[in-house]
Amino acid sequence: MNNAKVNHLHYIVLSFMALTFLLPLIWIVIASLDPNASDALKMPAQWTLGNYISVLGNMENIKAYGVGFVISFAESLIVVILSCLAAYPLSRYRLSYKKTFMNVILFMTALPMIAVIVPVYKMYLSLGLLDSIWGVIFYLSAASLPYGLWLMKNFMDAVPAELEEAAWVDGATTFKSMTSIVLPLMFPGICTVFIYTFSKSWGNFFVPYILLSSAEKMPASVQLYQFFGQYGLIDYGPLAAYSILYTLPSILLYILSQNYMSKGFNLSGAAKG
Amino acid sequence: MKKRLLSITLTATMAAGLVACGSNSGSGTAATAAQEDSTTAAAKESQAESKEEASGEKKTLTITFKDDGQGENHPWYVWLRESYEAWDMKDQVELELAPITGSESDYYTKVALQLADANTCPDIVFEDTFQLPSDVSAGYLTNLDAYVADYEAWNNGTYYESLKAGSTAADGSVYGIPFCTDTRGIWYNKEIFKQAGLPEEWQPETWQDILDACAAIKEKVPEVIPFWCNSGVATGEATSMQTYEMLLYGTGEQLLDADGKWIVKSQAIIDTLQFISDIYTNGYGPSLSLVLNGQATNTARREYLPQQKLAIHMDGAWISANWIDTGAAPWPEYQEIMGFAAMPTQNGGGTVTMSGGWTLSIPEHSAMKDEAFSFIQQMMEPPAYTKSVIAQGNIVTRSDAAEDEEYLSQPYKAEGTALLDGAYFRPQNEQYSVVTTNIQTMVEAVASGSTPEDAMNQYAMDVTRIVGEDNIVEK
Amino acid sequence: MTKNQGYGFREEMRKSLLLIPAVLVLLFFFIIPIVLTIYYSFTNLALSGSNAKNLQFIGLENYKRMLTDPSTVISIENTLIFLAGSLAGQTILGFLIAYLMKQKAKGFRSVAGPCFLAGWVMPEIVVALCFMAFFKENGTLNVLTGFFGAKQVSWLYEHPMLSVVIANVWHGTAFSMLNFQSALDNVSGDMEEAARVDGANRFQVLLRIIIPSIKDTIATNVMLNTLSTLGVYGLIYAMTGGGPANKTTTLPIYMYNQGLKGMQLGFGTAIGMMILFVGTICSLIYARLLRTKEEG
Repeated sequence: MNNAKVNHLHYIVLSFMALTFLLPLIWIVIASLDPNASDALKMPAQWTLGNYISVLGNMENIKAYGVGFVISFAESLIVVILSCLAAYPLSRYRLSYKKTFMNVILFMTALPMIAVIVPVYKMYLSLGLLDSIWGVIFYLSAASLPYGLWLMKNFMDAVPAELEEAAWVDGATTFKSMTSIVLPLMFPGICTVFIYTFSKSWGNFFVPYILLSSAEKMPASVQLYQFFGQYGLIDYGPLAAYSILYTLPSILLYILSQNYMSKGFNLSGAAKG
Repeated sequence: MKKRLLSITLTATMAAGLVACGSNSGSGTAATAAQEDSTTAAAKESQAESKEEASGEKKTLTITFKDDGQGENHPWYVWLRESYEAWDMKDQVELELAPITGSESDYYTKVALQLADANTCPDIVFEDTFQLPSDVSAGYLTNLDAYVADYEAWNNGTYYESLKAGSTAADGSVYGIPFCTDTRGIWYNKEIFKQAGLPEEWQPETWQDILDACAAIKEKVPEVIPFWCNSGVATGEATSMQTYEMLLYGTGEQLLDADGKWIVKSQAIIDTLQFISDIYTNGYGPSLSLVLNGQATNTARREYLPQQKLAIHMDGAWISANWIDTGAAPWPEYQEIMGFAAMPTQNGGGTVTMSGGWTLSIPEHSAMKDEAFSFIQQMMEPPAYTKSVIAQGNIVTRSDAAEDEEYLSQPYKAEGTALLDGAYFRPQNEQYSVVTTNIQTMVEAVASGSTPEDAMNQYAMDVTRIVGEDNIVEK
Repeated sequence: MTKNQGYGFREEMRKSLLLIPAVLVLLFFFIIPIVLTIYYSFTNLALSGSNAKNLQFIGLENYKRMLTDPSTVISIENTLIFLAGSLAGQTILGFLIAYLMKQKAKGFRSVAGPCFLAGWVMPEIVVALCFMAFFKENGTLNVLTGFFGAKQVSWLYEHPMLSVVIANVWHGTAFSMLNFQSALDNVSGDMEEAARVDGANRFQVLLRIIIPSIKDTIATNVMLNTLSTLGVYGLIYAMTGGGPANKTTTLPIYMYNQGLKGMQLGFGTAIGMMILFVGTICSLIYARLLRTKEEG
């Protein structure tokens, strides 16, 4: 068969698939610009930015957005910091328990943390951590820490130890050689872990929904979930607009980090394979 | 301005993203800055809290109730705000409204989660009477005996005795002040009935009469939905009470037998489920996508009925409150168009209704029980109280409020209240609040195509697990 | 291993200092809850009712009930169907896209790539909303099929499992695609070239050269997807709530319905144990895979 022909066919198939992948987004984009949006797909009689304005004009929405951001950001930061710290000894030192430890971590990555939500609730009840944003942050951090740690250790393994040895000869402390040599070199990996954690957490509405009770502490994800049923006749326009605004940080993070991300994936692929 | 807000949020997001990625790159300053960011947010919060406490040592009274999605205009919001304005303690106590927004079935879970926790527990909670026995057994609610002893209206016969019983637990103590009760029946659209050649003043005698009417409507007015009853898990208690129990109690059987054992298998259950199955298999009911979600009650009451797209609706007598001027879906002509009939028993010879209601209760963990009870008394004072019940479309629990002219002149009030005689109440059984979720699953299963037998077998299994094998019976 | 055990221990402790914060967080917020899960699953813990006040050890009662309840079987079946559907969809689509995208014009890649990635970067709750609208009676899918003369289908109610699987595949395909892309980039072109010279056609090259050389990535990818799919909860809950009836009730939904909505916390944690058990099996297989790879 003719190569060029096959190539053309590939382009056609790919274009078709790409368009198919965009289909579920059509409604949300159109509805967000339609002053009379409904759950049906239809062309708006007129276009408007009013939905966005009404969503952004509502202080509660802004606040929920901020809360969601604090939760996801703090969680990702905790995961990155803790896994960086922990990855160092695991990657650089010979430790008798290393193999067991990594196996346990690997095992933990496999446990769906949703299964322990009830005991966490009971535990928080006795610790007074319910309705506390920090409680949510710690639970989410713990849930994503094993995977973050696993990735981070592999990223650190990929940084040659020889580079550090020179620094040690110069009398650098562990901390110094870590911050000035290892971490900059594994920057893409750090970004991968951060972004991965952030985007998982950003969409999570269930954990805060169970562990928080004050309306003003609910993050945007919970608010969106409640938005589905907030109004007797659901206000689809603002709902769609809010959803799009809510997706923006994920998209931006992705775009900003695209370079690191693809490198990160190569690295993690190498580490895994 | 609004646009600028957006761009600010976005820049902040981007910056934070960059900061995050840069945080470990050596200097460490970026990381601290970001950390400060989140700590300031937390600090601000605690500052706000302490400020509240500092300003004149005002205590805060928190009230948890259900927001069905109508928001600030819901009668309960209005009622709470007005009662607060009239309250003599308002200078010492701040009022905090803590509504729970969510589908019907999520409310009770969320309330129980809050009541269990001394830190997040509200000072007053709106309790549906079916949830009360269970929460009392759990030790979540305050025994109000000492409070009602000094509450004049409670002791001088102002409150209906029959309704006091609804908030009295198995131990004989009072755990809530009942503020409304209700009845259920069948709403029908007279104009659609006319087009279908059915009588405009309609009182079905048997279940079959209802199915016949549905058939006539389906044939002659095919563009409307003949019949709607709450059928999903997401509509929660409305499915159990407005649909399943209204039917079941019309067979002559109840949820529990005379010995207090749960009936898990019987011909009456099969018949009840068969009726629901008939509705859906014959195409009389709404599409499942309309009826099986958490918005279904609102969709029927606020959209399909006022838009005259629905002929017969089994629901509460109170739903006409949606159509008054200040309601969620004003509909000026509703009084001419809508008729309200009593639900017939299965094979004729009588009517049936289920009666429920809500109480105001004080959680055991509340630190301000005295203030809470004082506020409850204030809330129960006519005319603000009467006004709120009118706005909800419900039935009052106080005889003085029942004499209010405006209350008496409400449309359908006489019909609804008349049903109260001989109304059935849900079992005063602490396990009902769990069993009811299995009833909802059973009804939804049948509505979406399971056979009545299969659904009943699953129900039997579930209920046995909850109440234990010693507490069930098969007929 | 070290000669001087005392010194070795102290030395090892010193080296392990940096591990402590992570270990503490995992201990408090991961391991203790799991231990509590095991404990509560043997009790009658309840959210309301008299059991809420009086916690009792009831032995294997919850497990006995769980294993004799047909709903459990249905939930496990649903979980497996959801898992199999999602895995098949994500892996096959992800590979196909990565394979076809290889060596395509840069401009095309930069336009088509984001289309596939859109679903992946989107938060779960927004994915749920998009697909609820997509599958509605007057939604995008019915408008499209109606264009070809098909009759309107109420997808979320008539084909609920298919609907949630499609939504999850849409959400997860890009992850597989990225994995496969980086693996395919490492496949040596020489071997392909050699096979082509020997007269193998494209399909044979794909089957005999490309797939065998990335089979490790395929295995890893399938495992990672299995684990993340097992934990999928919000998407299904927001889209169908597990319904209609129990048609999309997977184990996590079953746990929520029984444990929290039904207020039978003890029974809920027993279901939680079941989820952990399935996760454990997957994780053992996963660890096995990685080990053999390291050894080979």
